[in-house]
Amino acid sequence: MKLTENINNFFSTIGGLTNFTIRFFIEVFRPPYEISEIRKHMDELGVKTFSIVSITGFIIGLVIGMQTQPVLARFGAEMFLPGMIALSVIRELGPVLTALIFAGRVGSGIGAELGSMRVTEQIDAMEVSAVDPFRFLVVTRVVATTLMLPLLTIYVDFIAILGGYVAVIITQNMTFSYYIQLVLDAIRFSDIIPGVSKTFVFGFVVGIVGSYLGFNAKKGTEGVGKASTTSVVISSLLILLIDAVLVRLTLIIFPD
Amino acid sequence: MIKVENLYKRFGNHVVLNGVNFSVPEGTTTVVLGRSGIGKSVLLKCIVRLIEPDEGKIFINGIDVSELSIRELNELRKDIGFLFQSAALYDSMTVKENLEFPLIRHTELSEEEIDLRVKEMLRLVGLSEAIDKMPSELSGGMKKRIGLARSLILHPKIMLYDEPTTGLDPVTSKEIAKLIIQMQEKFKMTNIVVTHDMVVALSTADRILLLENGKFIFDGTPEELIKSEIEIAQKFLSTTLD
Ligand SMILES: Nc1ncnc2c1ncn2[C@@H]1O[C@H](COP(=O)(O)OP(=O)(O)OP(=O)(O)O)[C@@H](O)[C@H]1O
Ligand SMILES: [Mg+2]
Repeated sequence: MKLTENINNFFSTIGGLTNFTIRFFIEVFRPPYEISEIRKHMDELGVKTFSIVSITGFIIGLVIGMQTQPVLARFGAEMFLPGMIALSVIRELGPVLTALIFAGRVGSGIGAELGSMRVTEQIDAMEVSAVDPFRFLVVTRVVATTLMLPLLTIYVDFIAILGGYVAVIITQNMTFSYYIQLVLDAIRFSDIIPGVSKTFVFGFVVGIVGSYLGFNAKKGTEGVGKASTTSVVISSLLILLIDAVLVRLTLIIFPD
Repeated sequence: MIKVENLYKRFGNHVVLNGVNFSVPEGTTTVVLGRSGIGKSVLLKCIVRLIEPDEGKIFINGIDVSELSIRELNELRKDIGFLFQSAALYDSMTVKENLEFPLIRHTELSEEEIDLRVKEMLRLVGLSEAIDKMPSELSGGMKKRIGLARSLILHPKIMLYDEPTTGLDPVTSKEIAKLIIQMQEKFKMTNIVVTHDMVVALSTADRILLLENGKFIFDGTPEELIKSEIEIAQKFLSTTLD
């Protein structure tokens, strides 16, 4: 039956992913490190996502500002608008939306890249030339996504707060320096740390899921396409699930 | 020297190799002929352990390949060149980077020495001008030749060719066959050439094996193949007349 087949598939994917993750942690700390390859991937990831996350970041800030403003105005609390924007962005929207965009752009790219390397026997060729393809292709990419997503998220947070200022000046007179002052007054260390730390996890998820599906792609161009789209679906789902768990965890660790 | 004993491999219910036995003496070339989909690539991949056989043993220079640890296997693999059917060039790297890849990782050569070795190999395969090209800019025949250069760059003692001429025109095919002979003369390797191209088979082989239904149904010299009565052998030979 179709359904049991799907369920089987789901569990074998989870099992495979778990093995892949364990293998990653065994290999990542073992020299020689492919530093130049990691840097190359980080550069590519940055170039690939920079414009899209900039635009998205700005719009998130703007929209959150415009949506929140009338609500606060209702309670005569418009002075809290900059803080609200900053908190929404830093605690939740910046990390999660950047991660989802990252999954769409980068996860699909890694799935397709490694998938086509698998299908065209490039991974086999690497293996017979006595270079471990897992170390050279997977570990470098996963390290790159894990380090890159937090950087992008911090950048998006800034851009979104900038976008929020535009929303503020639509309805109020407020200087930029006063806006920043209010933002800084509102945020605490316990807002920034969990927001940024979880993006390491999200970046890792995008890298490992894309790599796993690409690395194990089935023969044919169909296999490559499937590796690419499935990695977006699975990594996005995992990001949202893990986010829910981490939010709960954060509230336990940093009770307000 | 390569020795294969009682090799079995199946995928699901599909039996591909059904008890394969042969050996290739050092410094000689054995050609494996066989129709498409009969299991020639699977056989080559078993030899380098890209595919694990279900049963049987493979000895390379007297060492049982299946007993090797990953590290030992990788040491052995450095002495084996493998030309893939699809050439399998790394498509995110230039030709130069493709050729440097094994050198950087497996030798202590300096940058200049690596550079020299790369240029020497490219000259041998007649593609010096392609050094800075990406694989996507190369024709099928050029890819095969670059693939050949890459698999020979560590000067392996054993060379496995998977259909070195498939998809190429007869003139280029002949050039590749010539190249295989030339490399053999230069590096004195032990070769297995998988092909269904009779020109390559007859011009390179010391010995020819014919794979059919999971087993070798012919084993002999090119001259013996020409004289043989086996129907498929005759069919293969008749292609040279076309
Ligand atoms: N990884 C695999 N999984 C399942 N079946 C496979 C796998 N690899 C090969 N096969 C099957 O084994 C058979 C032999 O394949 P192989 O690639 O060795 O053929 P071949 O003799 O090299 O053919 P060609 O001349 O077309 O390259 C084919 O039927 C193929 O479908
Ligand atoms: Mg084949």
